[in-house]
Amino acid sequence: MSYQCPVCNKVSNKSALDLARHMIGRGDKVHRDWINSKGFKYSELLALQFSSFGGEGFKSLAEVLEKEAKVKD
Amino acid sequence: MKKELKFKVNGQPYEIFVKPKTLLVEVLRDLVGLTGTKRGCSSSSCGACTVMLDGMAVKSCSVLALQANGTEVVTVEGLAKGNELSPLQRAFLDHGSYQCGFCTPGMLMSSTALLTENPRPTKLEIKEGIDGNICRCTGYNAIVRAVTAVVKGEYKEAK
Amino acid sequence: MSDYSVIGKRVHNIDGTEKVTGSGKYTFDVVLPNMLYGKILRSPHPHAKILKIDTRRAKRLVGVKAVVTGKDTLGRKQGIWRRFPELCDEEILCRAKVRYIGDAVAAVAAIDEDTAEEALDLIDVEYEPLPAVFDPMDAIKEDAPQIHEGVELNININRHIEWGDVDEAFEKCDHIREDKFKCSSQAHVCMETHDAVASFGHNGKLEVWTSSQSSYYIQRLYADMLDMNESDIRVTNRHTGGGFGSKFELDSAQFCAAILSQKLCQPVKIVLTREEEFTATKRRTPMYYFLKLGAKKDGTMLAKEVRVITEGGAYTAMGATALYLTGFFSSFPYKYPNYRYDGYRVYTNTATTSAMRGFGAPQSTFVGESQIDMMAEDLGIDPVEIRRKNGMTPNYEVPGQAFIQSCGLHQCLDKIEEHIEKRGKLPPNHGIGVSAYGFMSGGIFNWFNTPYAFSAAVVRINIDGKVDVYTGTCDMGQGSNTTLAMICAEELGVRLEDVRMFSGDTGICPPDLGAWGSRQTLMGGNAVKMAAAECKQQLIEFTAAKMGVNIVYDLDIKDRWVHLVDRPERGVSYFDIVKEAIRGKDGVAIMGRGHYTPHRKGMISPAYSFGVQAAEVEVDPETGRYKLVNVTTAHESGTVINPVGIEGQLEGAIMMAGGYGFCEDQPMDEGKILNPSIADYKLIRSLDMPETDILEIDTYEPEGPFGAKEAGEGLTNPTAGAIGNAVYKAVGVRIYDLPITPEKVFKALKEKEKQQKKAKK
Repeated sequence: MSYQCPVCNKVSNKSALDLARHMIGRGDKVHRDWINSKGFKYSELLALQFSSFGGEGFKSLAEVLEKEAKVKD
Repeated sequence: MKKELKFKVNGQPYEIFVKPKTLLVEVLRDLVGLTGTKRGCSSSSCGACTVMLDGMAVKSCSVLALQANGTEVVTVEGLAKGNELSPLQRAFLDHGSYQCGFCTPGMLMSSTALLTENPRPTKLEIKEGIDGNICRCTGYNAIVRAVTAVVKGEYKEAK
Repeated sequence: MSDYSVIGKRVHNIDGTEKVTGSGKYTFDVVLPNMLYGKILRSPHPHAKILKIDTRRAKRLVGVKAVVTGKDTLGRKQGIWRRFPELCDEEILCRAKVRYIGDAVAAVAAIDEDTAEEALDLIDVEYEPLPAVFDPMDAIKEDAPQIHEGVELNININRHIEWGDVDEAFEKCDHIREDKFKCSSQAHVCMETHDAVASFGHNGKLEVWTSSQSSYYIQRLYADMLDMNESDIRVTNRHTGGGFGSKFELDSAQFCAAILSQKLCQPVKIVLTREEEFTATKRRTPMYYFLKLGAKKDGTMLAKEVRVITEGGAYTAMGATALYLTGFFSSFPYKYPNYRYDGYRVYTNTATTSAMRGFGAPQSTFVGESQIDMMAEDLGIDPVEIRRKNGMTPNYEVPGQAFIQSCGLHQCLDKIEEHIEKRGKLPPNHGIGVSAYGFMSGGIFNWFNTPYAFSAAVVRINIDGKVDVYTGTCDMGQGSNTTLAMICAEELGVRLEDVRMFSGDTGICPPDLGAWGSRQTLMGGNAVKMAAAECKQQLIEFTAAKMGVNIVYDLDIKDRWVHLVDRPERGVSYFDIVKEAIRGKDGVAIMGRGHYTPHRKGMISPAYSFGVQAAEVEVDPETGRYKLVNVTTAHESGTVINPVGIEGQLEGAIMMAGGYGFCEDQPMDEGKILNPSIADYKLIRSLDMPETDILEIDTYEPEGPFGAKEAGEGLTNPTAGAIGNAVYKAVGVRIYDLPITPEKVFKALKEKEKQQKKAKK
């Protein structure tokens, strides 16, 4: 199973969570815009990330990517 | 108004006209052309500009050039005799007592002045002797080892 | 492997005599005909709009030749992370906005420094001050002032590293600790301040002499900023009076000198003052560290989770790399099966934070080694034992990240344990703290986006057998020229005095990424070794043909003797062979080319070195004042090429890293650095310097030249942690924020006393 970044087409072979890390990590305007278009607020996801252990910010984005970015091998 | 400065640098007499606020380090580097003496802070706290003035170590960024009138100044260029390095210079080479080398002229002048004044300093006295000089590379201990070796007589003065 | 004839010998640095006689030329000493002197006007505001700059009064001053502002530039922005345009964010000469106290707004060229200085006062700048933010914890708040347009929460970059299943692993732990730390800033304090002489000619070409760690980076960044061809720019690195991570980005002295020179077609020299050096160059990254560490009862560490928020200052610089490396080295030097790192670099209105010797690892080592001692105490395990239980071993893969071949960590731990045992029972209020570390030998990442090999060298043998080495590596005082000359001499079979180095000159040397991240010995060394080997091969081929040796014999060159390996007495003089070989090549000098780029070596570095340090302190419990008594380091760096050099690196690192733990700090008030002078910035002087002992451990790194790897930068990592642990051992107080000043120790002792009294009641 692989996941493809809807913005820059980067492929992750691991998991939707891994792709979520990529999208938030890249963090440039195009990636941010896509994230925001899914009803998130990029800054809130980040804030969730840096204020607690456990990588919570990534997890909610990963749920969306699980549906929207999966590529059939 | 410029005034006349008469002094000796490394044995050579000079007569130079300088402004009253000109610093000794500026005269040495810019007018006499001896760039071995460095400048690291211009506030007499780093020791890179140390030279010997009538045998005493002074920070040449904090001495007005005209204050050196009638004196004998020795800079790092004056340590070697012809092609023979001084004992401290040779000890610095052997002990790796320099890295970037920017503090080295000042370190050598502080240590030379120390040994002129006190030929048999203890380790603590050596450390005190170079405490006004900052070295950001070596951590000082290699410098202390080199001076100690000279004190022990491991390096003979060139004839 | 003791049959080396050059490597491992105690030699003078090849530039030693120049340094002890004061004849070595630094950029600081360069004077060119028709040269002018430049000075830079800097912002007094931490955050402000530039409304208007009026330079007319300054231009009228007799002796002033040019005044430039941001309008005279192309308005481009520089950044070391060239692959990511949004991270190239520094104009150097600001056009519309200043972001820290010290940001450059104008520059003057005049006939002397005094005139240029006077002219600065005559430049009228109208600012509109903006709300500013200084602490990253404030800057990430929703309502904080925005420092760069479009950057949400002022988060400049975030980095994530993860392997294993951290959440699940914490469930299995018997004991979990969560701790918070704060790491302070630190100034590089190079003895030679940043300086440059830029000379733009009527032929449209730019020549620059500058104190730098990477001539190639400076050349490339100039090309970006001035829209010039790389090859029309020649950057020469002379003797450099220290770098420590501060001199491989285009700085204000270099850029302003070039802009001024471009206007005038005259050479312009700019030397930063010591105050500018403290306030307007880059510095070590302060970090807020949040750590969670889980272990089994027996001390096996199962999981670690790390969150870091760093004070980025005004621009990206190399801070993004520091953010990445602090995350990676937070796992060092242990085998965590499960690990997660999240790092956030936050823009603030303070001087930019970037690379400094250790590159994020001194911070991660201080916090990590403090916490592991606390964990050991919680579990009732000896600090050396817990490190032994979890420490990295040879041929270990950091999951998905890196592969470690040679590793002498366990031997180092044994040596340090012996040292502690030998010290026996300590006098009262003495304590020995231990700290373990690892570090890389050059980075594999290419965020700079160079199309060139990471290191390259050309070796040329002249008719007299003397050898010239051309390499883009930079000797900033760490002694890389000596180390590389030793590698060349050993490989080629000549003596050190036969080798002459030409380095750090982009006009004649092949590009090399420069001296940062402990690259030069391994990467530069591999390139030089390959080039020397190519030369040697040509000589051997010629000798084999000339001597008519049986095909079964191997030939080699050692100490200027070309001979049969099995019958060393059968041979010919190297010098004779060189003469004949050049004649045989139609008069062409013997040349060899070498290069090195790591491939398939993971994501961080091709090799890692390791060590363990024990610091002994004596604390005065009445005042909190303490003394560094002794710092003993067990250390492995593969084959030791230059032993005198390693000793110097080690002792020097203790001065710098001890300073980081002990006294160096840059306190600020509203973004203004309060101690911008050597008198006020406390660093270790000779009287504070502890005794230093070195216990060298033998290892061999297959990836390095003759088995060598990193040896110097990593030594900056352990000391702060060792001091913290030693203070705890001595008087039982733990300091969570650097530097560990007597005042903090005193307060902690008082607090402890209070707690003890309370407990008694």
